[in-house]
Amino acid sequence: MTEQIVSVDALTHRFGDVVALRAVTLEIAPGVTGLVGANGAGKTTLLRSLLGLVHATEGSIRVMGHDASTDPIAVRAVVGYMPEGACLPKDQTAADFVGFTAEMAGVPPKDARRRASETLFLVGLEEERFRYLGDFSTGMQQRVKLAQSIVHGPKLVLLDEPASGLDPAGREQMLALIRRLGGFGINVIVSSHVLSDIEETCQSVVMLDAGRLIRSGPMDERGTSKAVTVEVVGDPAPLAAMLTGSGLEVAAVGPVLTIEAVDDAVFDLIIDAAASTGTGIFRMGRAVITLEQEFLLQAGRPGT
Amino acid sequence: MTDAVIYDRGYRAYDGELLGRRATRGAIAKDGIRRILGIRRKARRKVLPWALLSIGLLMAAVLVGQLFIFGSLAGAVAEGLPSYAELFDLYSRIALLFLAITIPELLGPDRAQGVTSVYFSRPMSVADYLGAKATAYLVMAASIYLVPQLAFHLGAAALADEGFLAHLTGNLDVLWRVGASALGFILIHGGVLAIVGAYVDRTSFAAATFLGVLLAGGNLAGVISQAPFTGARYASLLALDDHARYVRDWIFDRDLGAYWPERAGFDPWVSVVVIGFVAVAGSAWVYRRYRRLA
Repeated sequence: MTEQIVSVDALTHRFGDVVALRAVTLEIAPGVTGLVGANGAGKTTLLRSLLGLVHATEGSIRVMGHDASTDPIAVRAVVGYMPEGACLPKDQTAADFVGFTAEMAGVPPKDARRRASETLFLVGLEEERFRYLGDFSTGMQQRVKLAQSIVHGPKLVLLDEPASGLDPAGREQMLALIRRLGGFGINVIVSSHVLSDIEETCQSVVMLDAGRLIRSGPMDERGTSKAVTVEVVGDPAPLAAMLTGSGLEVAAVGPVLTIEAVDDAVFDLIIDAAASTGTGIFRMGRAVITLEQEFLLQAGRPGT
Repeated sequence: MTDAVIYDRGYRAYDGELLGRRATRGAIAKDGIRRILGIRRKARRKVLPWALLSIGLLMAAVLVGQLFIFGSLAGAVAEGLPSYAELFDLYSRIALLFLAITIPELLGPDRAQGVTSVYFSRPMSVADYLGAKATAYLVMAASIYLVPQLAFHLGAAALADEGFLAHLTGNLDVLWRVGASALGFILIHGGVLAIVGAYVDRTSFAAATFLGVLLAGGNLAGVISQAPFTGARYASLLALDDHARYVRDWIFDRDLGAYWPERAGFDPWVSVVVIGFVAVAGSAWVYRRYRRLA
């Protein structure tokens, strides 16, 4: 059995009267995991809890085998963190800053300088590494933030909204970098409220809504709905009526019928019904549920 | 067709030695010293600290020049020229300006630019971070207070009639007197700066606040302490800068009666207690503040 990189048990975190996390229990397997939820869902609090930067009101957290509450230093020795907000000193060069953050993790100065250069090369900033960070664009700053999070060779990297503030091209480059990290064997937990980013990048997903865990598991376990969608040519009403008459649950939106189906026998039923009613079928198949649809469904807000 | 190959160096996990928290503290302290001095920063960041340090040294050099004219330290002192104790006064405003940018520069930008969120994700505690910053402060404060004194001491030894080594060995007491006096200044200024630096993000504002508290606040406290009401003399304890000067004179066996706590009738040991209290209170205050931030 694969050892989990993160185990959270009944984690509750309160800021005064505000409950940021409510009895969250989850396990995260190695790989690239997405942490999704709306703004204020508790993503950043969960990430900071994993680093031992905020202490749980109740519950426990283990990260890479270490207890984040009682031994946060051991956790931080094997974890890298990329904060969401501004976190770069404007008056330092990229190479100096990334090298310094490596030294802060205990890397000897000479190795730290070498690692800083290598890491900045990896994120595509080899030419700009001796420029001052205050002169960097948002996209370049995000890359520096990513570089500092991996410069000391962590086993797990926590990325808080890494594509925040980036233009579409920059966003795609950042997501490609994150996918590459997974390819290098670094475990990644990436938070985002842009669900399509997570869909493109991650193997697993953790969904939070208002501090509650609403789903945790591999990405390919989603879309388990048995619904079949049929797009018809012409009026869908006769086909819908016949299928309803056969005891199926049918919903129609324009030319598309969504049929709740238990097994594959429904496909034959639909074809027979279409032949009987003279309805042309343009397209038919299992409904693909996007992460966004699943999130809305799990959060109890279908159709919003 | 070319045989050239493009290699993607990719990423290699770091499998070398990790030095631990002591090295982390050392790295932060080293970075703090560089930041105060503007090293590896833009040129304009270097101007103020290096100018102040240079002026401090220049004053010591001028005094050594005067020793050369008068032939010896004793001769110069007999002519009313400054010695070790007075040298503190001579560059005290320079030192105060220099110190005013140290702790604010060590703490403020990290908070204002959000860099603490990266730093505290590294394997270290708040105490490690603040301890390293304190080390950087102590090194820089010692350099402004002790380097001119050391230059003066070596200059005096070089010009001494009894010879260089004989002067050094014959004046060993100077070392502890200068060191203890400097420590008084460093601790009381550090305590005030820690409290100011923990809250004011911009270095210039923090420096101005510090100078205001120390200079204007000190004079105000002194004036109040002379007012004709019961207990007024306790206001002199708030003339913070005077405590270090009072203790310095005590250490050098001088009694000028020039400082507010002294005028209000307090013994020098009271000033020692106040210095210790301010240093401890400043440290505790800044630690409490950062426990919340981290």
